[in-house]
Amino acid sequence: MSNQLVIQGSAFLLGDDVNTDLNCSNKYSPGQGVDDVAKHAFDQLSPGIASRIDSSGGGILVAGKHFGINSSREQATHVLHKMKVRAVVAQSFGRQFFRNAINNGLPVFECDTSTILEGQALALDLSSGTLHCDGNLIQKVPPLPAEILVILSMGGLLPFLKKYPDWNFV
Amino acid sequence: MGLTIVEKILARHAGRETVQAGEVVVAEVDYAMVTDTRAVNTIKLINSFGDQPLKFANKTSLVLDHYSPPPNQEAADIHSSMRAFATKRGTGLYDIGDGICHQVLPEGGHLTCGDLVVGTDTHSVTYGAFNAFGTGIEGTDVCAAMISSKLWFRVPETVRIDLQGVLTPGVWAKDITLALLGKFGAEGLNYHAIEYVGDAVAAMAIDDRMTLCNHAAELGAKAAILEPDEKTFAWLKAHGAKTPRPTFADADAKYSERYTIDVANLAPQLARKHEVDNIVGVDQIERQKIQFALIGTCTNGRLDDIRQAASILKGRKLASGVRMIVTPASRQIYLAALKEGLIEILTVAGASFESAGCGTCVGITNRLVPGDGDTVISTANRNFKGRLTNKNADIWLGSAATVAASALTGFITDPRMVEGGTWRSHS
Repeated sequence: MSNQLVIQGSAFLLGDDVNTDLNCSNKYSPGQGVDDVAKHAFDQLSPGIASRIDSSGGGILVAGKHFGINSSREQATHVLHKMKVRAVVAQSFGRQFFRNAINNGLPVFECDTSTILEGQALALDLSSGTLHCDGNLIQKVPPLPAEILVILSMGGLLPFLKKYPDWNFV
Repeated sequence: MGLTIVEKILARHAGRETVQAGEVVVAEVDYAMVTDTRAVNTIKLINSFGDQPLKFANKTSLVLDHYSPPPNQEAADIHSSMRAFATKRGTGLYDIGDGICHQVLPEGGHLTCGDLVVGTDTHSVTYGAFNAFGTGIEGTDVCAAMISSKLWFRVPETVRIDLQGVLTPGVWAKDITLALLGKFGAEGLNYHAIEYVGDAVAAMAIDDRMTLCNHAAELGAKAAILEPDEKTFAWLKAHGAKTPRPTFADADAKYSERYTIDVANLAPQLARKHEVDNIVGVDQIERQKIQFALIGTCTNGRLDDIRQAASILKGRKLASGVRMIVTPASRQIYLAALKEGLIEILTVAGASFESAGCGTCVGITNRLVPGDGDTVISTANRNFKGRLTNKNADIWLGSAATVAASALTGFITDPRMVEGGTWRSHS
């Protein structure tokens, strides 16, 4: 499982209080599919970010406080997958976004992000709780619990339950 | 080290002696609820596990409340698929007009003290009024609960808020929650559990306690929970709930913060346009005209709310140019209001009634759309621009008493300035 828990990519910066219902779902444009939303997600906050991530072949979103605040739609995580976002690193997360990310196999990492600059090379190791930036260790936080790491490594809660319907993964 | 109420409930459901804030536990779920806004995805996910019998089906209800009655064929088709799923897989179902999820779950006897309840709606925190841990989740979680009867939870830090003093007549739990939104800000208690204690809580009727816990969603809370008392037990018994497991905090429980707030002198509060934490006392407002008054939603569509409105409007007429719609939170409440004569009183005064459901809160049913330039005063829990579909209307939030008093005068009005009747008592 270790491979899925080590994630590398360039940093794409967003600010504080990013509402994923507004910026990364079809809540306010019903009928739009994940593909449509993914093309223009976060455009209001960082114009063209979706195409920049796409042309890099994927990347890591870096945000400030409360990423996903005040928004509950699971669809946001599907959009982020579609955008080739490999992980979200933020100072803190909205409660429901954090749940949805783990349940849908999108790695989330909570730490101080204030020193990270756009385009820097990030390497995230979820099992050790470490974040390297341009080769330097910049953060070490308590790793997520084993249950969550297994769920993430298997791509989300439902793939996990298909294999371990009784949660007995040890 | 002692435990808070939420820590105790999570520990018990995880089969553990103790838990600590911040850690993740895998816990047994007692009950799950799915609304029509999340049903399509949830049903698809559950069906992906095949047709095997679902042991958890009798602990799950599907609720047709947000699109009630359905405004278009798409919504009607979602409802049809929910009915078919409930019949085939054996879950409970509350059909259109039965009421809002957070009202029908407790009314249906589906939860009791000490339970762990999840629902696909942020206002699932309402169940804390009954000393149950209730929290909002998504379709994947419901699917997991139905397949395995378990979910993972990060144990939240608990904030203890002691509400001291007893509210004066004309002031309600809604006013407390709005004042707290002014103090902490929207999402100001993100991820926390709130334990409300104190004289004001003890004095509240169950309806008001539900308002208190419900509105914690706007504070960002993962749960809001009360200690149970004789009122709780009597209400649960009357609604056929199973034997309660009353859960109290330990004296040496660890809280991330403790606040003591004196509510004895609190004035009715309002959230001004367009933010739920843009709070002001009603006594600070000068001649603000209103055109549209709404009473309903999972926050304030209960019998005590309709009683307040009726006692203010009894024998009177709405101000010229004002229209008013009342949406009871459930069919049971509708019926009780009918039997008490409240519907007649309000209808004579000029108000109209909609069938029970979420329609008062969001513009989803397309039946409560304000006009350009209208100022709406509502008992709902959110007032974002465009919440009722028209971005050129302003929405203010207040208690049912404040809404009714304002509908009577045509201006935002302090209900304490209107001579009333039974609504004055908090006992």
